[in-house]
Amino acid sequence: MSNAIEMNRVRKTFGAKVAVEGIDLVIPQGAVYGFIGPNGAGKTTTIRMVMSILFPDSGQLSVLGKKSAVESKDRIGYLPEERGVYKKMKVAAFLVYMGRLKGLDSHGLKPKVMDWLDRVDLGDVAKKKCEELSKGMQQKVQFIASVLHNPDLIILDEPFSGLDPVNMRLLRDLINEQHAAGKTVIFSTHVMQQAESICDHIVMIHEGKKVLDDTLDDIRNRFDPRAIHVDTVGDADRSTAISAAPGVASVRIHEGIHVVTLDDGMDKQHAMQAIMGEVPVSRIEIKRPTLEDVFIEIVTGGNASGDDEQVRAQLLAGSKETQEVGS
Amino acid sequence: MNMNKIIRVASREFASTAMTKGFIIGALVVPAVMAALIPLIAILSAAAQPSADKGTIYVLDRSAEVFDDIESRLSPEEVRKRWEDRAKRASDFAKGMMGQSGNASDGVEQAMNFIKTPEFRVISTAPDADIEEIKTEIRQQLTSGVELDDPMQKLLAVIDIDADAANKSNDSKGYGSYQAFFRPKLNEETVGEIESGVRWSIRERRYDNAGLDRDQISELASIEERDSKEITEEGERNESSGIATFLIPVASLVLLIIATMTGGQYLLTTTIEEKSNRVVEVLLSATSPMELMTGKIVGQMGVGLSLLIVYNSLGIAALIAFNRLDMISGQIIILFFVFFLLAYFMLASMMAAIGSAVNDMREAQSLMTPVMLLMMIPYFFFMPVVRAPNSMLSTVTSFIPPISPFIMIMRVSSTDPPPPLQIAAVILVNIIAVFFFLWFAAKVFRVGLLMYGKPPNLRTLIKWIRMA
Repeated sequence: MSNAIEMNRVRKTFGAKVAVEGIDLVIPQGAVYGFIGPNGAGKTTTIRMVMSILFPDSGQLSVLGKKSAVESKDRIGYLPEERGVYKKMKVAAFLVYMGRLKGLDSHGLKPKVMDWLDRVDLGDVAKKKCEELSKGMQQKVQFIASVLHNPDLIILDEPFSGLDPVNMRLLRDLINEQHAAGKTVIFSTHVMQQAESICDHIVMIHEGKKVLDDTLDDIRNRFDPRAIHVDTVGDADRSTAISAAPGVASVRIHEGIHVVTLDDGMDKQHAMQAIMGEVPVSRIEIKRPTLEDVFIEIVTGGNASGDDEQVRAQLLAGSKETQEVGS
Repeated sequence: MNMNKIIRVASREFASTAMTKGFIIGALVVPAVMAALIPLIAILSAAAQPSADKGTIYVLDRSAEVFDDIESRLSPEEVRKRWEDRAKRASDFAKGMMGQSGNASDGVEQAMNFIKTPEFRVISTAPDADIEEIKTEIRQQLTSGVELDDPMQKLLAVIDIDADAANKSNDSKGYGSYQAFFRPKLNEETVGEIESGVRWSIRERRYDNAGLDRDQISELASIEERDSKEITEEGERNESSGIATFLIPVASLVLLIIATMTGGQYLLTTTIEEKSNRVVEVLLSATSPMELMTGKIVGQMGVGLSLLIVYNSLGIAALIAFNRLDMISGQIIILFFVFFLLAYFMLASMMAAIGSAVNDMREAQSLMTPVMLLMMIPYFFFMPVVRAPNSMLSTVTSFIPPISPFIMIMRVSSTDPPPPLQIAAVILVNIIAVFFFLWFAAKVFRVGLLMYGKPPNLRTLIKWIRMA
């Protein structure tokens, strides 16, 4: 199977600012890739270069086997982050126009547009002007514009921002449907949970560099924090008692929960049993690494410290901000 | 570049601009209504003329020989006859200007229905009457303000004619004269009519007294006017003077400016709209920036062209109506479209570049100022170019894009067009300039479209050109 996208040492600067610094990336056909990273990390710039809207200063890039997306634009569906509609145009007319621009034949296009509008519960607004739609509705219209021409590669830049939970689920189902049909899907988000729930492969970008490129399972294994969360009965600090259990390297308390780090090579099951022998436990679990944790570990270079909380706060602030703007 | 996509973009651009009620009303209906209104305005202004003065003129003829002439000269029949003659001459002059000959009496009759001629009753006073008494009579009429039963009783003027006005007395002082006293607020025409009547009468009487024949004098004084001709390479033609020579070049210039500016202005608006709507990146997912820009420029070219076709047809219809189709030729019409395209592409390039570089209309204003000034230049050159279409100034400015097409349209539609080789050279220079303008616009357009924030100054623009 050939690759949908290949990037080789791609670099892009805006004046003195380096937006993307030497990214290597291979995305096979049929995969669902998530681009994650905080605001301003270089996700949109990378995607714009894939779309040939921007051109890299150096490095090679191929899209669907072509030198650039210019030659294969009609096979790509793109939902940009900066998305808008013609305010005065009617919804169906706008979609027909976009379909025609993407090279679709006018024959049978109108029913196809109506079909898609019905699928996203917008069948009754086809004759309304785009400006009469809410932002969330406009976003669904734009999503249709990006998949209407049945593209092989679908690139969605922050597709979930501004959607309510019901529509988020609807969009997720539509993305999964495209994936099931064998399409390559790439989407960017800075809300890590969304990436976790859809992607099978994660590319993390930070300060213009690719810092992670792996499947979700591999990432979880690799970034296993070898930590156990212990909630004891009562509010007392049991750190000393837990430390006495064999295989425990250190214990710290975070938000009222004992975070136990194990010695290398220590079996987690044994350690949990040993801890339960030492203190009365109300809840004990092996900590699963979230993308958020992974990201923070990468950014801070693995030395969790005061920086840790700062980066986390930054990250959450970023995602909250966008969610608020979107809602 | 994908032709299909360009056509798609162009037709949307055209439809969203020209197929709107606002455009059709603004661009087509308004001029049509204006054209219909002009005759109406002429009629209304004629009808709104102040009512003609009617009343009595007292003549204190101390010479006792001028009164009869004045009375006959200012009799209602004579006055009306002179006014009709004047209207006919004006009408003949206007028609001669537009080249339509023939009987103009219909027009004069029509005109005379609107023009109200003054009406006088001329009364001679006793030779020893007191001029002050008559003046007091006028004053009384003014102060009492009572409407007179008979309008002819209204005192308009008193003319006091010297005893030696028409007959030199024996001493060497020469002829005497006259003194006129008028009621205030009379129409200018009334005063003119009375004064010239008195002067004419005195003059005629002097001829008689000097033993000269009145008819002979008038014969001696009049010289028949003939139209001057110009000798040209092909033969001869009527001297190019008057409004007609100016009319076609000016109309052509204004039309060209309107057509290019309309298309250019809409291009600017839609580009800014697409950018501020953020619809532009959605479009760029389907087209390249070049395809988008080309499509938009072509679409608005359609808008300008349709204006041009409509207005040109109106103009040609007007020329046919005045029977002066000879004033333009097929060649001029073709050149008109050629110069429109050249001018439009240069202006559209600037507009597309500005539209893509700014975030809203307000920011566009500051960048528009130099473009607007540029478009004003042809107006400044209009007089010297039309007066001397082949002067050094005309020739040199013809070779300076982007004002070149505007200067050239005045020259080719003038009575003295430049030689074909020069026209060809100008077109060539402009084609090269068009490519340069489009190249510049494409660079700015590509970078500017996705740039939000501070509007660029010239330095950033140059940086963008380097970047793209």
